[in-house]
Amino acid sequence: MFEKLKITAMAQAMAAHAGARMGTIASNVANADTPGYRTQDLADFGQSWAEAGGDGGMRATRAGHLGGAASQMSLQAVAIGGHSGPDGNSVSLEAEMVKAVEVRQQHDMALAIYRNTSSVIRTSLGRQ
Amino acid sequence: MADLITALSVAASGMEAQSQRLRHVSENIANTDTPGYRRKTISFREAVGGGEVMPGPVRLDRTALPRINDPNHPMADETGYYDGSNVDLVIEIADAREAQRSYEANLRMFDQARQMSQSLFELLRR
Repeated sequence: MFEKLKITAMAQAMAAHAGARMGTIASNVANADTPGYRTQDLADFGQSWAEAGGDGGMRATRAGHLGGAASQMSLQAVAIGGHSGPDGNSVSLEAEMVKAVEVRQQHDMALAIYRNTSSVIRTSLGRQ
Repeated sequence: MADLITALSVAASGMEAQSQRLRHVSENIANTDTPGYRRKTISFREAVGGGEVMPGPVRLDRTALPRINDPNHPMADETGYYDGSNVDLVIEIADAREAQRSYEANLRMFDQARQMSQSLFELLRR
């Protein structure tokens, strides 16, 4: 609805990032007993957002302009290093729980920003 | 949103794999006193692409069966020995407890992904 606004686009990207990271964490936990599995994770939101040109990118006013629109944010999970056990599995359930809480907070924050922005817009339109 | 749905199915696959592991543990415990029984073990592997976990093939523990001396036992041979089972109850209990913990972790992930998609839907309700 409000994709043109930077703050809502950012909140949307933040929620999408939290969702993708949640998927990665769920697959880490599911594979906590799989031999040879390496823990996977996403780059944190600030980094992916900056890489996608989210802040400071050039403005595109026409579809033909190059490099204007923020490119799609990369949500690719990569294997991260870490100590692995005798079976080659590097998942630590405790670390995954901590990450899950972070993701939860990030998701809640993104939704709160979106909700508040839309309520400001509603107010400015004279509706409650 | 699609990622959250994927997270739900991945967590469900984890729970399914752990419950299958628990089932084999209980089969092992039930057959502790069965002569000639070899304990079943199962190993997990990652499904191609999806990040889901799949239970691998069931394997039999190759540890030598203990020879038990009891000439009165119906299975005893002429020397008075018969093959017991190679199930170690302590190992099975530990394995069961670990499967339970992993199941709970998967359940928690499932619940969190469900709550996150729920809060997304809450946005639509206003």
